Amino acid sequence: MAGGYLAARLAVGYLARRYLIVAGAEYLLLGILLGPQVSGLISSNVVDSFGPFITLAIGWMGAVIGAEFHLPQLLRVRGATYQTAFLEALLTTAVVAGAMLLALVWLLDVPQQAAVAPALVLGTIAVTTSSSGIALAVRRLAREGAARTPLLRQLQITGGMDAVVAIVTFTLLLCLTHPAPPSTIRPPTPTEWAVITIAIGVVGGILYHLFLGGEQNPDRLFIALAAAIALASGTAVYARLSPLLPTMLIGAILINTTRNRAPIADVLHRVQRPLYLVLLLFAGAAWRPSAQGWVWPILIYLFVRPVAKLGAARLAGRLSGTGRELGPDWGQALIGQGSLAVAIALNYRIFDSSSLPHLVFTAAIASVLLTDFLSARLVRGAVQRHRRRQAEAA
Amino acid sequence: MRRAVILLVVFALVDLVRPLGSSGYGAQALLAFGFLVLAAYTVGEIAKSIHAPAIVGYMAAGVIFGPVGLEALSHETVVRLQPVSALAVALIAFLAGAELRWEEVRERWAALLKVTGTELALSALALGLTLFLAGPYIPFLRDATTVELVAVAVLVASIAIVHSPAVTMALLTETRAHGPVARTTLGVVLISDVVVVMLFSGALALVRSLVPVSGAAGPGVLAIVWEISGALIVGGVLGAGIALYLRFVAEELFLFALLVAFLGAEVARLTHVETLLTLLTAGFIAENFSPPARGQALRHAMERSAAPVFVVFFALSGAEIDVMTVVRLLPLLVPLALVRVGAIWAGTRLGGRWAHLPQEERRWLWMGLVSQAGVAIGLAAIVAEVFPGFGEGLRSMLLALIALNESVGAVLFRRALVASGEYVPGAAATPEPDDSRLSAPGSS
Repeated sequence: MAGGYLAARLAVGYLARRYLIVAGAEYLLLGILLGPQVSGLISSNVVDSFGPFITLAIGWMGAVIGAEFHLPQLLRVRGATYQTAFLEALLTTAVVAGAMLLALVWLLDVPQQAAVAPALVLGTIAVTTSSSGIALAVRRLAREGAARTPLLRQLQITGGMDAVVAIVTFTLLLCLTHPAPPSTIRPPTPTEWAVITIAIGVVGGILYHLFLGGEQNPDRLFIALAAAIALASGTAVYARLSPLLPTMLIGAILINTTRNRAPIADVLHRVQRPLYLVLLLFAGAAWRPSAQGWVWPILIYLFVRPVAKLGAARLAGRLSGTGRELGPDWGQALIGQGSLAVAIALNYRIFDSSSLPHLVFTAAIASVLLTDFLSARLVRGAVQRHRRRQAEAA
Repeated sequence: MRRAVILLVVFALVDLVRPLGSSGYGAQALLAFGFLVLAAYTVGEIAKSIHAPAIVGYMAAGVIFGPVGLEALSHETVVRLQPVSALAVALIAFLAGAELRWEEVRERWAALLKVTGTELALSALALGLTLFLAGPYIPFLRDATTVELVAVAVLVASIAIVHSPAVTMALLTETRAHGPVARTTLGVVLISDVVVVMLFSGALALVRSLVPVSGAAGPGVLAIVWEISGALIVGGVLGAGIALYLRFVAEELFLFALLVAFLGAEVARLTHVETLLTLLTAGFIAENFSPPARGQALRHAMERSAAPVFVVFFALSGAEIDVMTVVRLLPLLVPLALVRVGAIWAGTRLGGRWAHLPQEERRWLWMGLVSQAGVAIGLAAIVAEVFPGFGEGLRSMLLALIALNESVGAVLFRRALVASGEYVPGAAATPEPDDSRLSAPGSS
C-alpha cells in the first residue's frame, strides 16, 4: 500500500507539474487496484472500519463547498451569471437523468419506478464539475498573464452552482426515498426529513458560530471544526441523510457570520486534500462491479454526460443572454468531474442497497477517472479557444 | 461557560436525533467521535482556565459523558473508537522518537540510565514491600499464601513503576516546553518504558517458578527478546523509508504523517513487536537521517494531525475509568500512590545526584514521572490472567491506581514545568532550538 502510494504520488506529481494534469484521481485507481476486487491488499473489513473517516471526508467536502459562499463576494456577481449557471445545471440534470432512465428501463429491464432513483442520482452526479480543475486552470492562466475574463468568472460560479444543485437534488431524493426508522411512533414525511436535514446544518452552523467565538488559533480551530463536521456528518448519516447539505450549510454560516473567516477557510482547505485522498482511496477500494449488465449503461452515461454539458451550457448561455460573451462551447470547460461526484455516488451506495448502487458508483468513478486528470486542460483549452475567437472577431 | 452551555444544548439535540436513526457505516462512532471531541475540548478549556492541564479536562469529559456518566458514549462506541487510541499511541511514539537527536542521546545516555535505574529500582522495591506487608489487609488478597503474596508483589510492582509517554508527550505538545526538566523527563520516561517491558517479563518468569500460574498467560522469553529487538529492526527500516520519502518527495505531509502512524502500528501488530518502541525508533531514525527542515515539517504535520486524536485518546481513557471502583478502592490506592510518589522522589534525587544533574532538574524531575497509562493497562490485563483467584481484584486495583496517577501526574508535570520556568502559562511558546533539543547535563 505504501509502495503504491509512493508510486502514484511520484508519477502523477511529475505529470501534474509538467502537463497541467489534476492530481488526485490516481488514488481512486490505486484504491481499486489494492481493494478486494483486484489484489485484496485492502480487505472489505478494512474498508468498513474506515467508514467513519469516509463519512467525515464527505462531510468535510460539504463544508469546504459551503465556505466558498461568502455573500458579500457573491453579491458582486451580476444576476445573468447565476441564471446561466443555474440553467446549465438544471438542463444537464434533466437530460442525463432522462437518458439514463430510458437506458436502465430498456437495457436492463428495470421497472420504471425502480429506475427513477438511480437515474436521478446519475443526473445529479453528471452536474458536478471538477472544482480543482477550474481552480488550477485559473491559477495557471493568471500566472500566464491572462486577465480575469467573464468566462473565467462564469466557470467559477458555474462550478459552485453545479455543486449546490447536485447536493440539494441528491438530498431531496434521499428524503423522498427515506425508509421509516425502526424506533419512531410515526415515520417522518419526506418534507420533515428535508426540514431535519436543513435543521442539522442551520442549528449546527449557529451553535458552532457561538462556540468558536473569536477563536484564531489554527490548532484549536482545527479541533473544533473537526468536531463540528464529524458531529453533523455523523448525525446526518445516522439518520440516513446525506451529510453534504448540513455541512455545506455549516460552512456557509460560519464563513458569513464569524470574524475569523480567513483562518476557518484556511483550516478547511488544509485538511480537505488529505481527506479527499483518503476518500478516493477507499472509494476505489469499495468498488464492486454491478451484478447486472453494467457496461452499456455506463458507456451511455459517459457519452451522454459531456454531450449534455456542452448542449446545456450553450442553451443556458443563449437563454440568459450571455451566449455571445461566453462563446458556443464554453461547456467544454465543465466536462471534468472530481471529488463531489465520487462523494455523492459513495453516499448513495452506503444507503441504497437495492436500486443499482454499484452501477451508479461505477459510472461515477469511470467518469472521474476519464475526465478529472484532464479537467484543467479542458478549461484552459476552452478559455484559449474563446480568446482566439474574440481576437479574430475584433 | 458559553461553550459549556452550547455543549449541553448539543448533547440534548443529539439525544433528540437518536430515535430517528440506526447505526451503520460507522455513523454512531462518528457521531460519538464528534461529540467527544467537542466535549473534551470544552472541558479541556475549562481545565486550562483553572490552571490544570487540558488533558485532565479531556479525561474528565470522558468520565462525565462516558458509560458511567451521562452515557453519551456506550461501551460499544468506546470499543469502536479504539483504532483512534491506537493511532494516538503510534503518533505519540513517533513524535517522542522524533524529539531525540543522536548527538544529544550519545551525550546524555549515561546520565539518563543512572536516573532511570535508580528511580525504577527504588520504586519497585518500595511498592513491592508495601504490597507484601499490606497484603493480609487487602480484601481480595486475604486468602493468599506467602509465596503468592511475593508473586503478587513482584508482578504488581513491575507494573506500578511504569510511566506514561502519552501524558508526557501530550503535556510537552500542549506547553511546548523544551527546557532541561522537560527533556530529562522525556528521556527517563522513554527509557523506562522499554526497561519495564523487560522487567515485567523477568518478573513473570520468576512468578511462574514460584506459583503454578493459569494457562499460557504472558509471553515467553524469546517472544520478549523479539518484541524488543524486532521493534528496533522494524522501526529502523520504517524510519529509513520515511527518511527517504522526506529526502526525495516530501509532499502531502499531513496525509503522510497519518499513513506513517497507521502503517507503523499495523506492521508492529503483524510482526508481533512492541508498537511504541517501533514507532519511537522510526521517529528517531527519520528525524536524524532527514534534512532538518523536512524532518521538522513532518513533525509539525504530525502534531497538527495528532491534536484531535490526542483529545479523543484522553477522553476515551477517561471514559474507561470506572469511577465507582476508584472511589471504593481509595483507602488502598492513596497509600500505594503516596509510596510510589515518595519512591520516585527519592529515586530521582539519588539518581540525579549520581548523574550530576543540576539542582533545578533534580528538584522538579519527580513530578514529571508520576503519570501512568498505556503499557501499564495492557500489563494489568496479563496479571489478571495469571492469578485467576484474585486476578480481577488486582486488575481493578491496578487500573484504579493508573487512573489516579494519570490525572494527578498530568497536574504535577505541568506544575513542574511552571515551577522550573520552562512554561509560562498564557505566554507565547518560546521557539524550539533547532540543534539542541536535549540539553546536556549541567547546561542549565
